Amino acid sequence: MTKFMRRALETPKELAWLAAKAALDSAEMKLDQIDGAVLGSAPDAFDGMHMKGEYLADGCGGWRKPYLRCYVGGGTGVYAVAQGWFQVASGLFDTALVVCEEKMSTCQPHPQAAFISIFDPFTEQPLKPNLLWIFALEQNRYMQTHHITLEEIARVSVKNKRNALGHPSAQLGAEITVKDVLASEVMAWPVHRLMVSPTSDGAAAVVLAAGDVARRLTSKPVWIQGVGWCLDTAYWTNRDLYYPEYVEKAAWMAYRMAGVKEPRREINIAEPYDPFAYKELHHLEGLQLAPKGQAPKLLADGVFDRDGDLPVTPSGGLLGVGNPIAAAGTMKICELFWQLRGEAGRRQVPGKPERGVAQAWGDLMQVGTVVVVGTSEPKH
Amino acid sequence: MAGTQLRHIAKWRGEIPIESLYTAGIGGQRFFKALKEKGKLVGTRCRRCHQVFVPSRQFCERCFVELTEEVRAQPDGVIKSFSYAYIDHNGGRLKHPVASALVQLEGATTVMLHRLLEVKDLSRVSIGSRVKAVIKPKGKRIGSILDIEGFRLVE
Repeated sequence: MTKFMRRALETPKELAWLAAKAALDSAEMKLDQIDGAVLGSAPDAFDGMHMKGEYLADGCGGWRKPYLRCYVGGGTGVYAVAQGWFQVASGLFDTALVVCEEKMSTCQPHPQAAFISIFDPFTEQPLKPNLLWIFALEQNRYMQTHHITLEEIARVSVKNKRNALGHPSAQLGAEITVKDVLASEVMAWPVHRLMVSPTSDGAAAVVLAAGDVARRLTSKPVWIQGVGWCLDTAYWTNRDLYYPEYVEKAAWMAYRMAGVKEPRREINIAEPYDPFAYKELHHLEGLQLAPKGQAPKLLADGVFDRDGDLPVTPSGGLLGVGNPIAAAGTMKICELFWQLRGEAGRRQVPGKPERGVAQAWGDLMQVGTVVVVGTSEPKH
Repeated sequence: MAGTQLRHIAKWRGEIPIESLYTAGIGGQRFFKALKEKGKLVGTRCRRCHQVFVPSRQFCERCFVELTEEVRAQPDGVIKSFSYAYIDHNGGRLKHPVASALVQLEGATTVMLHRLLEVKDLSRVSIGSRVKAVIKPKGKRIGSILDIEGFRLVE
């Protein structure tokens, strides 16, 4: 992966190429050993290139290859890995290169403005809502349903920004306190500035290979054990926002495939999507890694610390490493890859984790995408 | 890790120039026509799952059947969540913060987004608070969601 940063000199396709090349180098492979390429990237408006899938093809290693772009909003970065997995698991290809890229700084003056047209043009756009609004409404609903305090939410920012200090790609690693988070500007009640991930430029990539190919390439393959995804209604106001049911459905799809029956016991490390501090807790509940409303308590008890019983977002997440939308989801898959191989350096969690789950989320708060990876070959 | 923070370099400003003309559709037309002409809030009811969609829709996404039964919702409703926004679309500070709410109208099973009017003090608002839609006078209605000015707290 590339560094995640506020404003990159590299063009979008240069970012894609840097990440793709790093993934190939890490696998000691050349592009001609890749059978097909997959791009994941969010709205065209971010990079300012209409049909940016075609524009980015060369940077993704797609030259004269079966190549496609996939897109499920902010859920893209994890979904793209599943998209690549279909191609290899189906037997069609021996290898696939999955690249996710986003250059949000192209969008002026702020990429938030690109989101106005995701809302219903008749019932919502005239009210000029933005994403901050709707996430504030969701956070408020989550907090009030379970009597969760702002201090409990703020702990996510503290943990993730601290974890990011150990990540060489991180944009916003920092040692901060709960007090700092609560003293930061209120953007839309109850969301404070330090509870929100930044806008970022960056790219991340992984190489997928069929089992026999992977075993030839490395003595320590990381296996994709399960994939899942689910979309709830685009009428986002009609969902009870306190709980992400679509994440639960996506998670069980992936867990069933992976043979996981008791996620809390069988998942050793989790990288849930954390564009906002409350989302990490919300998603942990959807992922069945905490009972409804209990994630804040487990966080306060240290369960989710890097050396806790279930390390959560040891990468530093979107809050700490940064949030170039699609690339951020793939960054989470990269983190699990490094953690499961014992190559995460300063971020390495103790106890030789054997299985991890990565999850991303997006569109109109309606998409859950989940990938389960592990050190043992799946039976399917 | 590779990647270069932009400092002083050639830049080019451009845009994707697009303007859109949206329609309310077969389903939405019922709602906006009734709102403009009669100041009423209408929805459509699914005979199979009994969902009452307000604003009205053409089809039920769950049962995948056409919705033909029109029902009327009351302007009274309950807050399901709310927020107070201080930041605009470009990341700048709003001169006048905007209060918004998710409201379920009486007679509807769905929830709509709109503004909360005259809220200076958030401590007066909570999930479960009762509100009433403020509908503009006939001469000012154009068939837009803004024909509803917003929701006012019912004391």
